[in-house]
Amino acid sequence: MSRRPSLSVAAVAVAAALALTACNANSDSDTAGQSTTSSTQKGGELTILTSSSTVTLDPAKSSNLAITTLGLFNRRLTSWEIEPGKTAQAVPDLATDTGTPSDDGKTWTYHLKSGLKFSDGSPITSQDVKYGVERSFAPELSGGLGYHKSLLEDGEKYQGPYTDGDLDSIETPDDTTIVFHLNVSYGDWPWIVSMPAFSPVPKSADAKPQEYGQHPVSSGPYQVDSYKEGSTLSLSRNPNWDQSTDEVRTAGPDKITFQLGQDDTVAAQKLIADSGDDKNAFQASFVPPAQLSQIQSNADAKSRLVTSDAGALAYLAINVKHKPLDDLKVRQALEYAVDKKAFQIAVGGSIGGEPATTLITPGIAGRQDYDLYPAGESGDVDKAKQLLADAGNPKLSLTLLVESDPVEVLKAQAIQQGLKRAGIEVTIKSEESDAWYADVTSDKGDYDLALASWQPDFPSANGNIQPLFASSEIGGGGFNLSRYSEPEVDDLIQQASAATDPAQAEKLWAQADKRILQDAPVVPLLFKKNSFLHGSNVQNFFVTPFPAYPNYLKVSLSK
Amino acid sequence: MRRTRFLAGRLVSMLAVLVVISLLTYAVFFLLPSDPAQMSCGKPCTPDGLAQASAFMGFDKPWWQQYLDFVAGIFRGRSFGRGPAAVHCSAPCFGYSFQLNQPVTQLIWARIPVTFSIAIGAAALWLVLGVSLGVLAAVRKGTAIDRSAMAFAVAGVSAPVYLLGLLGILLFGFTLDLVPVSGYVPLTESPVDWAWHLVLPWCVLALFTSAVYARLTRGQMLEVLEEDYIRTARAKGLTERKVVGWHALRNVLIPVVTVFGSDLGQLLGGAIITERVFSMQGLGSLLLQAVGTGDLPLVLGTVLFSAFLVVLANFAVDVVYGALDPRVSETSG
Repeated sequence: MSRRPSLSVAAVAVAAALALTACNANSDSDTAGQSTTSSTQKGGELTILTSSSTVTLDPAKSSNLAITTLGLFNRRLTSWEIEPGKTAQAVPDLATDTGTPSDDGKTWTYHLKSGLKFSDGSPITSQDVKYGVERSFAPELSGGLGYHKSLLEDGEKYQGPYTDGDLDSIETPDDTTIVFHLNVSYGDWPWIVSMPAFSPVPKSADAKPQEYGQHPVSSGPYQVDSYKEGSTLSLSRNPNWDQSTDEVRTAGPDKITFQLGQDDTVAAQKLIADSGDDKNAFQASFVPPAQLSQIQSNADAKSRLVTSDAGALAYLAINVKHKPLDDLKVRQALEYAVDKKAFQIAVGGSIGGEPATTLITPGIAGRQDYDLYPAGESGDVDKAKQLLADAGNPKLSLTLLVESDPVEVLKAQAIQQGLKRAGIEVTIKSEESDAWYADVTSDKGDYDLALASWQPDFPSANGNIQPLFASSEIGGGGFNLSRYSEPEVDDLIQQASAATDPAQAEKLWAQADKRILQDAPVVPLLFKKNSFLHGSNVQNFFVTPFPAYPNYLKVSLSK
Repeated sequence: MRRTRFLAGRLVSMLAVLVVISLLTYAVFFLLPSDPAQMSCGKPCTPDGLAQASAFMGFDKPWWQQYLDFVAGIFRGRSFGRGPAAVHCSAPCFGYSFQLNQPVTQLIWARIPVTFSIAIGAAALWLVLGVSLGVLAAVRKGTAIDRSAMAFAVAGVSAPVYLLGLLGILLFGFTLDLVPVSGYVPLTESPVDWAWHLVLPWCVLALFTSAVYARLTRGQMLEVLEEDYIRTARAKGLTERKVVGWHALRNVLIPVVTVFGSDLGQLLGGAIITERVFSMQGLGSLLLQAVGTGDLPLVLGTVLFSAFLVVLANFAVDVVYGALDPRVSETSG
């Protein structure tokens, strides 16, 4: 979800909310349409409508969330428990627990449950999991989530089992035990092993690695019947999956069909009309703006619209390397001068998101709420002017780098007008999204301010803080857009990543969150919301703040 | 003899156009700041990982080298990477999409039935509809028929396809529930369903384009009907039907065929908006997707293929032209 894809996803979400600006700025409570969970009924054929025209079925190449498409047929060592009203949790999937760390936190041991089988009836062994991880190192199979690659010992040099044989830092002393040796102590390893690369792949089915993704061997409740790029992905039940070994998947529908490459507007219209097979469908893409406003006057459709609670963070990055933004007082002045209310209106009002004052996103364990720069919804211009005076009234003429999407520009204008009130001139520079991405992550960093948003790839505060504020992430493709470098914070990040006791790690992350904002390298603007629509027979459809996406593993159909 | 030389000359210029287009597409992509390897680098994308991905895909070589590799691949196929995990793309290899994990040739091949079904059906419809309306309007010049046909033409020309498409879906799909609103059914699966799913896209495209043809045909017909040889034909005592339908129409069709050729060629290269609105995955949506995700090999392949179709259509027009009017190949040979 993070990095590039989330940026475009974010832009769509925001576009979706835009149409509501004028008429609905204050409508919709946080819980609108959030259907509650009920017992799972078995049977029926679920349809998932999506604008994507492809699905990457090879786990090595996939960057799917644990609770979406690949989660239906690829089990991993751990998975995510995503339930309404609860923070996300790592839970055992193929493994009996979420992992046992050694005292130094560098060695993690897992045991597989007994009775696990692939869709072809053969047993799932620890070697299959090891092989799945190893093949993700092959450059020929790159493209997936690869957090493990730099964490596993010797991972930097290893190029996959096809040319380099075994990876010694993964041991399989017996068929049900797997041991990982890491470079550093890493407390979030239980999250890492929930990623697609940690799904078992039988070596015997991988004679042609490039074609494995066309007929992946299933370990979950469903198996792939057929996949037609640009058309459909059809899943049916895997007879060799055993519910008693699986706590995260309820496997309600008998069949699941993904309709690929669907026009978002037409798909939303179909779901609003809710006739025939569309009753058994939901839309995996965000509801487009026109339909969002249309739904507001349609009670039936409105009852089937699910808007997430506030999730991903939208923020203004301040390049601390550029004068006079290297002055803390100037950056603090920006914190006060920004008009978050205007920014919220630019994204469609409260259905688009809630104002933010912190970094860790809601829905993630350990998050603490606080406000270091209390300025009310629309900012505190006097306070900002005061701080600028203290800083010697530097001449402030700043460039703001944004993506050239109409909504991004609208958001940039809200920032521009807010800062202008304190005498800060902002020039908006909009770039096509590829160019924007290349510029903000380059070594050069030729901008004063940048608008961005962030949702972590896995629900740990680690995913919020480290990629955005560790000094190792400045330039060279890293996403530390503020180019913020503070030894004390690097140290906190290192300690928190290493902590294997979740409670201790959470405390340290919360501490890092606050410590970073004391230096004001970013202005937190908004925790964003996503809206989804489903047909009237669809049950157990909910969207939690993290990952602000429906949990496919629990969705079922009523009879 | 002259005719053969004429055709050979056309073939050579076709090839030249294709080479220029492929070079331009390459150049444009290399001027952009984005790195095609970035999209296949995975997350987190470390500098090492990026270099590895880049080397595997061949994006680390200078642009001209990449272009030559591309051209060579068309004739003898290509491989990327090493060992059993290497990617093979057999000749004719028009590149390999690392994001979709398929050879570009295969991707295009799979999309052809969709786009061709849309394009050929719509083209047949608009040609018949447009020409008949135009002839009718010209013959009944100044009457209510003429005025309503031309009013229709103005309306059709002014309404954008996406608007017509969405209105059509709303009215015939949702409100009247007459036709399916999206999706494509292969002809081989069920010819009836195939046609049933295509009726609306055909009509929408034809409505828009036939308007252009109606205007063109009317103007042309009015001009031709003033010609001396038409007066001669009438003087010979031929029926009006024969005069208009045989002597006049043949000449009217020459410019119509020219426009039709390039229109059809363009449409075969992908009816981007129509495909999008009706959720049909043809060549147009493939190109749109490739551009959106920065998939250079796929962009190059689809652009080249679309260009090939346009060039081919123009070639076909030249041939038909020769048949309709022998003077064409005589003089330009």
